[in-house]
Amino acid sequence: MHVWKEIRDREGGKVHSHCFAKRIKSNRISQLELSNQKDIVSPHKGAINSLQIDSTEGRYLLSAASDASVAVFDLQRPAVYQPISKHSSLFLLDKHHRHAHKFSVSSAIWYPIDTGLFVTASYDHHINVWDTNTIQVVVNFKMPGKVHRAAMSNLSTSHMLIAAATEDVQVRLCDIASGAFAHTLLDGVMTVEWSNSSEWVLVTGGCDGAIRFWDIRRAGCFLVLDQSRTQLGRRPPVLKGSMMTKSKALSLQDSSTKSRAAQKKHANGSGSKQLPIGRVPSKGPMKQRLHPGMLSTQDRATAHYGAVTGLKVTEDGMYLLSAGSDSRLRLWDVQSGCDTLVNFETVRLQINKPLQFATTQDATLVFVPCMRSVKAFDMWSGNMKSILRGHYECVNSCWFNQQDQELYTGGNDRQILVWAPARSIADEMDGPAEDQDNWSS
Amino acid sequence: MSIWNYVVTAHKPTNVTHSCVGNFTSPQDLNLIIAKCTRIEIHLLSPQGLQPMLDVPIYGRIATLELFRPHGEAQDYLFIATERYKFCVLQWDSESGELVTRAMGDVSDRIGRPTDNGQIGIIDPDCRLIGLHLYDGLFKVIPFDNKGQLKEAFNIRLEELQVLDIKFLYGCSKPTIVVLYQDNKDARHVKTYEVALKDKDFVEGPWSQNNLDNGADLLIPVPPPLCGVLIIGEETIVYCSANAFKAIPIRPSITKAYGRVDPDGSRYLLGDHTGMISLLVITHEKEKVTGLKIEPLGETSIASTISYLDNAFVYIGSSYGDSQLIKLNLQPDAKGSYVEVLERYVNLGPIVDFCVVDLERQGQGQVVTCSGAYKDGSLRVVRNGIGINEQASVELQGIKGMWSLRSSTDDPFDTFLVVSFISETRILAMNIEDELEETEIEGFCSQVQTLFCHDAVHNQLVQVTSSSVRLVSSTTRELRNEWHAPSGYSVNVATANATQVLLATGGGHLVYLEIGDGILLEVRHAQLEYEISCLDINPIGENPNHSHLAAVGMWTDISVRVFSLPDLNLITKEQLGGEIIPRSVLLCAFEGISYLLCALGDGHLLNFMLNTSTGELTDRKKVSLGTQPITLRTFSSKNTTHVFAASDRPTVIYSSNKKLLYSNVNLKEVSHMCPFNSAAFPDSLAIAKEGELTIGTIDDIQKLHIRSIPLGEHARRICHQEQSRTFAICSLKYNPTSGEDSEVHFVRLLDDQTFEFISTYSLDTYEYGCFIISCSFSDDNNVYYCVGTAYVLPEENEPTKGRILVFAVEDGKLQLIAEKETKGAVYCLNAFNGKLLAAINQKIQLYKWVLRDDGTHELQSECGHHGHILALYVQTRGDFIVVGDLMKSISLLIYKHEEGAIEERARDYNANWMSAVEILDDDIYLGAENSFNLFTVRKNSEGATDEERGRLEVVGEYHLGEFINRFRHGSLVMRLPDSDVGQIPTVIFGTINGVIGVIASLPNDQYVFLEKLQSNLRKVIKGVGGLSHEQWRSFNNEKKTVEARNFLDGDLIESFLDLNRIKMDEISKAMDVSVEELCKRVEELTRLH
Repeated sequence: MHVWKEIRDREGGKVHSHCFAKRIKSNRISQLELSNQKDIVSPHKGAINSLQIDSTEGRYLLSAASDASVAVFDLQRPAVYQPISKHSSLFLLDKHHRHAHKFSVSSAIWYPIDTGLFVTASYDHHINVWDTNTIQVVVNFKMPGKVHRAAMSNLSTSHMLIAAATEDVQVRLCDIASGAFAHTLLDGVMTVEWSNSSEWVLVTGGCDGAIRFWDIRRAGCFLVLDQSRTQLGRRPPVLKGSMMTKSKALSLQDSSTKSRAAQKKHANGSGSKQLPIGRVPSKGPMKQRLHPGMLSTQDRATAHYGAVTGLKVTEDGMYLLSAGSDSRLRLWDVQSGCDTLVNFETVRLQINKPLQFATTQDATLVFVPCMRSVKAFDMWSGNMKSILRGHYECVNSCWFNQQDQELYTGGNDRQILVWAPARSIADEMDGPAEDQDNWSS
Repeated sequence: MSIWNYVVTAHKPTNVTHSCVGNFTSPQDLNLIIAKCTRIEIHLLSPQGLQPMLDVPIYGRIATLELFRPHGEAQDYLFIATERYKFCVLQWDSESGELVTRAMGDVSDRIGRPTDNGQIGIIDPDCRLIGLHLYDGLFKVIPFDNKGQLKEAFNIRLEELQVLDIKFLYGCSKPTIVVLYQDNKDARHVKTYEVALKDKDFVEGPWSQNNLDNGADLLIPVPPPLCGVLIIGEETIVYCSANAFKAIPIRPSITKAYGRVDPDGSRYLLGDHTGMISLLVITHEKEKVTGLKIEPLGETSIASTISYLDNAFVYIGSSYGDSQLIKLNLQPDAKGSYVEVLERYVNLGPIVDFCVVDLERQGQGQVVTCSGAYKDGSLRVVRNGIGINEQASVELQGIKGMWSLRSSTDDPFDTFLVVSFISETRILAMNIEDELEETEIEGFCSQVQTLFCHDAVHNQLVQVTSSSVRLVSSTTRELRNEWHAPSGYSVNVATANATQVLLATGGGHLVYLEIGDGILLEVRHAQLEYEISCLDINPIGENPNHSHLAAVGMWTDISVRVFSLPDLNLITKEQLGGEIIPRSVLLCAFEGISYLLCALGDGHLLNFMLNTSTGELTDRKKVSLGTQPITLRTFSSKNTTHVFAASDRPTVIYSSNKKLLYSNVNLKEVSHMCPFNSAAFPDSLAIAKEGELTIGTIDDIQKLHIRSIPLGEHARRICHQEQSRTFAICSLKYNPTSGEDSEVHFVRLLDDQTFEFISTYSLDTYEYGCFIISCSFSDDNNVYYCVGTAYVLPEENEPTKGRILVFAVEDGKLQLIAEKETKGAVYCLNAFNGKLLAAINQKIQLYKWVLRDDGTHELQSECGHHGHILALYVQTRGDFIVVGDLMKSISLLIYKHEEGAIEERARDYNANWMSAVEILDDDIYLGAENSFNLFTVRKNSEGATDEERGRLEVVGEYHLGEFINRFRHGSLVMRLPDSDVGQIPTVIFGTINGVIGVIASLPNDQYVFLEKLQSNLRKVIKGVGGLSHEQWRSFNNEKKTVEARNFLDGDLIESFLDLNRIKMDEISKAMDVSVEELCKRVEELTRLH
């Protein structure tokens, strides 16, 4: 791929403009490296726990740190331009602020509709909703325990709920509109994530290794991911013996790796108990119908051994990535609830902390904090595409800015690093005419 | 302020994206249906060729177009899906000749990622379901019920992520698809699935085939009895079915389109990327495939669609060149080609660049586009209005009138041209050498001004002067009879046809004479209350020599009256209103409809429908043609009658689809015109203008005229240099024999009249021409062409080197005067304050033109500005620089003279991927972006905070549905400084689909009025397939969809003129504005393009 040729092909109508944008983006993403143009001046005095850039303008970065501080940066207008653009925080909410948190802030998220509000969740058992312009708390929720993570739905048009994963064995839904708890879901959770396909669907990752899907309008969860369910896309064959041709045999051979991997899972002795949950196309009719709420209580299926430490739904809403304290990264097909069995090349993950990882818009790459580095994996093959080294200590969070194709990472070393597509700084020095080459001919 | 913009199409899309053949308009009709991105055309196959039946806009970019026939139907239905996930099923209503919507709906999903390889829409050959592949990983099914009605759609998961093509297989008991896909390791395979409609899922299909040609990109399903599928690769073609597998190698080529020849599917036409078409034959014995054969047939335009019509006639739709109707001959011609091109259909797409020039220096802009691609690259000169091709001219001052006369009644040609002056009449005639020379007609009075002349029956001629009417023999040229005006009265105005004379003398006397053989008979006399200003008795009835109606325009009461002949009874009197007297009236008929045209002294024209039996006038409409009095005359061209309106803005009035249209004539000021069809100058017009008499032929009567200059190579950038009267282009030539990368790039100089290459500068290997401008520098009087280039090295991903070349045109040659190496591709160049402003990769760089000691010049960099992803499009105004970035919308920079620095002033923080920018005025900038939208932003220099001042506020948004490559200030029409539309600034744009459009910045009151009209039109004009206009025009990209604002759809507004009277009345009522006023205002807008 050559940028100039792509531009030419776009103007000639040889490549559809959407395809053009996608190719340029993925080309840029493949060149990510520590930015030599942009620098975030971190005011935090503790580990960075959470990073988020607003989705309306892709302009303001919200960071939260374990020193109970929260900061906002303008990524478009740096404080200093030369020699490289330095972005200092527009404001910092630290312990000097009247409403500041007392302990580590685990999550800081933008109100999805605009940047007028943001939400912070802390180990001090509080969730605060801030007015960005006045920097005052407008709503405050007292939680029963440490809050590990808070999330709001990007799709929501009819609710303003913050889903909070707390130390307590409950997921709480805090309603900004009323200031009350709208709902409590039962689950021991480490992390929460809203679906990208429905504003009512919430995904929770439990300390028990279970990933549960909830429709918040109904009781109980409707889907529990099971790491032993792996038969994605296996269709019943056509019932004609004569149709088994040479090519059929070939295709079987092709998928043998898949089945072997599936067997291995079984050999590990997990998931002895399988309940048909949700929509399971290949599993035949259900034996008995249970109340959905009852169903979930009986389901002991797990997605990871140990706790689920990170969840990320792809932008298209069709896949879910999960990380566990078993140092595994799994890619799930949301509709069928199957593990796609993509084998992400050996990852060593931080296990004691919720992890925030990021995917690119076209869901080709996933950026995963792996101890002191961030690894970029191909989503479909699991191959590691690049490894981003720059932090001195463990990385906790990643945020990918789709708009500029930049990755922001924060770690225990209190730094926020920017990873941007490589660009040559071709600063033209106008020397004397170097006309040794005889160009004209 | 240029906030309120009006967007209108001057040249419709011509890029053919889809075509199909079937029995659509009736079971017996064979129709060709063509999609041109946002329009569909329906043609009928007739012995005379393709006959257009319908051309309608679609409120969407057509993604798929398919004909299908539900069970029990005798004719086909049309299925259309748009890129914005709307679909509709259309049926032809033969009674009304309109499209009827059978079904429509939205097939968008919240989940899923739009496919990379284009949307796929297919219909099961047994009409059980419609299949759509719109998002990766999802196959949408719209099932048909038994009655052929569509049921609720559902999705099936498709695990193959990189789907290249999907087709339905023929002859399967259950609907079965075949999927061509690429896996993670870039290998390509096909797989079949049965669609289980009940379970809403797939079942593994009967067969699959792995590891195909790496270039396999296209599936062709083969109908019964053979069934199976053809897989077209770059090096092989494979036939595949459950029980057969045949492959043949082919000459490496990329197949772009196919067309099935036989209903049994044994022969196919394949069109490749070089424009070659080949015939693929499946050889078979007893319904068993035995092999494949391929034979090249010849060259056509590069096909995007191929539709086999009938009897070896084939329609070739093209995106990169003109579309064609071809015939495949049984025997090859001398060059070995079986292809015979019968007809070409103009395609301007893709317009990658264009310039607006005034080559004739008449104040009338012309657009010269870089059109087409590869071998079909061309320049197209697009001109609005009708041109006169001058054949002869004489200097003659003070012409007061002109008439042509024949030497005998049945002579097909005109011989004499009578030219009248204030105090004499001169007669010109063609002599034996076919030259125009002065002659005499003895019977004519040549010492006075002639008021009117006409051929009359019985080989006679009529001359009307202020004192008499003279009847003269055209053979002996002697006076045969004369009628004298009563003493004390003189004739003021007169008119005549072959058998009748009507004249008016002072005092409101109207006299009617009839012409006999050597006799002038005064038949009737009438006295009117006021003076008469103009008359007409042009025959529009069945008898071409006789009229039973007379039109009379009056002074004082400003009316036009219709009298019956011969009795001179007043039938109708129509008050014109206002204070301007009618100066010319004309009875005429177009397409079987009779009209009365009445031109006023201030350049306005009124037209009425005329009921010839009752003399009733209806449907009054008023348009402004110019500012000076108009003289109306009929003439015929190509056997059709048109009206020429001579004035300061000469116009031809013609009729199309029973609607009157007005087209400018590309002449400055015409005082008189008469048709002059002589043997030497057949079908010509004699035109009196500015002290000159010209004889010339007229162009085809249509609005836009396109001249094509084939280059045989791909022109990418063009600019014009007034001083040297040349064009310069950056072009490239492909070398098809040695692969895609072997291109040669040139800078070429063309004569601006002949368009011949007069000089060429070859660029280096790997060096591409990126931009070209004509400019001059401070302290240097010369004008230069500056060319920006890039070195596109195979191992690089982005250019790191380029050049700026400065050429002078000396003796018709390009002379390299200076060159400057750059550290990247020079995407854009602008003349800026006597310097040169270049956009080089991420940077904006300013160069000054420095005189060296040895007397030569060089470019020296002065300052620059970083901070763009790629600065692709740059426009400047004064010290301001507006940059369109690859993906970061528009930013505004300012050049500070004192500091010699460029700084950023403001930017739009939206993530728009730009395709073109333009500066509308000091504060408003116009942008076009990647998702086919237009938007405007405003500089906010009065903002209270830094933040506000630093932000370009988005003030207008609109979905155009076209990819714009270039904006240019200018106009396609002659701008009259004193007319209303002359004040409206316009920008022209060119798009990939070959659209030339105009964006006009309207005053606020006009905008408000038209916005109201637009919203009323939305209620009355329903989109084809029930698609919503409001949704179509809403700004839409992957981030947001918002209603259009501060842009109006001129195409919709101007379609007001196509409405029938009932609908016009409906709108007039809703708007509380008369139909006449609405027509006039809309008509005025049509004069913008």
